[in-house]
Amino acid sequence: MREPRRVALARSALVVAALVFFLFPFFWLLQTSFKPPIDVFSAPPKWTFGPTLANYAATFRDFDVPLFLRNSTLIALGSTALSMALGVPAAYAIARSRSAGLRSFANVFLIIRMIPPVAMLLPVYLLMRDLRVLGTYQAVIAINTVLDSAFVVWMLQSTFRQVPTEIEDAALCDGCSRFGAFWRVALPLARPGLIAAALFCVLFSWNDFIFALLLTSPSTKTLPVALLATFSSQDIGWGELAVMSQVTVLPVVAVAIYLNRNLVRGLTTGAE
Amino acid sequence: MVAPIAVYAIAISFYPIIYSLAISFFRYRLTDPSQTRSFIGLDNYVRAINDEGARTAVINTLVFVVGAVALEFALGLGLALLLWRDTRLNKIAAALLLIPISLTPLVSGLVWRAMLNADFGSIGWYLANFLGQREGLTAQSTTAMLAVIIVDAWQWTPLVMLVLLAGLKSLPVEPFEAAQVDGAGRWATVRHLAVPMLAPTIVLALLIRTMDAFKLFDVVFAMTQGGPGLTTTVLNFDVYKQGLVFFDMGYAAALSNILLVMIGIFAVIYIGVAGRQRREGLRVAAVRARA
Repeated sequence: MREPRRVALARSALVVAALVFFLFPFFWLLQTSFKPPIDVFSAPPKWTFGPTLANYAATFRDFDVPLFLRNSTLIALGSTALSMALGVPAAYAIARSRSAGLRSFANVFLIIRMIPPVAMLLPVYLLMRDLRVLGTYQAVIAINTVLDSAFVVWMLQSTFRQVPTEIEDAALCDGCSRFGAFWRVALPLARPGLIAAALFCVLFSWNDFIFALLLTSPSTKTLPVALLATFSSQDIGWGELAVMSQVTVLPVVAVAIYLNRNLVRGLTTGAE
Repeated sequence: MVAPIAVYAIAISFYPIIYSLAISFFRYRLTDPSQTRSFIGLDNYVRAINDEGARTAVINTLVFVVGAVALEFALGLGLALLLWRDTRLNKIAAALLLIPISLTPLVSGLVWRAMLNADFGSIGWYLANFLGQREGLTAQSTTAMLAVIIVDAWQWTPLVMLVLLAGLKSLPVEPFEAAQVDGAGRWATVRHLAVPMLAPTIVLALLIRTMDAFKLFDVVFAMTQGGPGLTTTVLNFDVYKQGLVFFDMGYAAALSNILLVMIGIFAVIYIGVAGRQRREGLRVAAVRARA
């Protein structure tokens, strides 16, 4: 159905207004990172200024940014890979199971996601200490994997339920094994859902602050933890903080926007 | 295929729950020189009930969860309806709205804290000089919680929108065409057709957000540190303060168990509602199939 011109115009105006509100902080971050240090604290706020790379130079001089980037990447990719490897088969098994008990078992994974991380902090810290893995990548990856894989199972079991069983049954009849049906039929059909789930895993582990704060050492620090250090040291201005924030958020923002089509499609299959 | 993950998840995630249940019956302070644990029964829980701070934290948590989730749902549904139609602008907007979702919460907290600062903030300065919010929203006890809710809504409304939009796009078109033929108005179509058909997705969106709202931590940590006073100290932040600032592990564990019970009550309600809805969904499908 076509919209009257007036309505379409009003709709576009509202969409643009919403975009301004939701994008403003991101724009502010970008702007602050290019501001000359003296302009950052000016009152009233300065909106025009000669852009400079001074904050970038200072940040890369004062902090080992490449190391933090590498740590964050390793931890995010490690957690995501493990969560998918553990979570996807489990989600499939639950979705195809005929036992009501196993299907209600899916709720257990929901409950795991409900545990407040703060409640897990101390026990996890002591556990990792006893396992002698404090300060290693493995410690952070292990705990992220628990939370992320629980999310993967919970999200994907409804996705797999959406995948019609007829095609799989046909494959089974044609002599495909159960695993073959899963690997060659169900997985490709659930692709948008898989991509969406993986993206959420990356977001969760990349943006995790509290576990990384407790479980990493100076050499395995992730970006959010390093960012807090930037903030706490007295002589660091918002300029450098903005640069660190940019480095922290840009990679995931880029990935999310690149995958946005899959995200919407993946959520559609997951929502029903 | 469920076994590996079940064993792993239960080992690492239930161990902390059991540990924190056990430790909540002990007096265990890391600041004690001897570091002894002495069994004190329910004393930590009795203390929590009599603790003005803990009671405030419970109330703050409820105010935050209800306020933030309601705001995110209202705005998210509005946005989803706005972006429902497949125009170029809408597609670009939906993609750009992923930015707040993917921003590290710690960063959102810090950015908003700077923007709301009354002395130099690009929003706060104007609020201070033209709207009389002299000390900045985050520093005034009357507005600090509102500021935290706004930041949370800024970050997560797009997620609610995305889930609801995905739901809207998967709805069958026939009922909407029929409604148009029958001359139903725009508003009536949304209210009597789109929203009821969207109900399962709405429940899902509310679940995701409520669950996470109970766990609010990073934004409070970055923006207000629970202040001014205790006005933005939600229970999750109180647990952190008692445990990792005052090192009173037994008491922190007791508080975290109270939070867990609050979330648990919510989970039971959700599982009940979702179960009823699934049955109703089946009934609707059956009716539709017969018609």
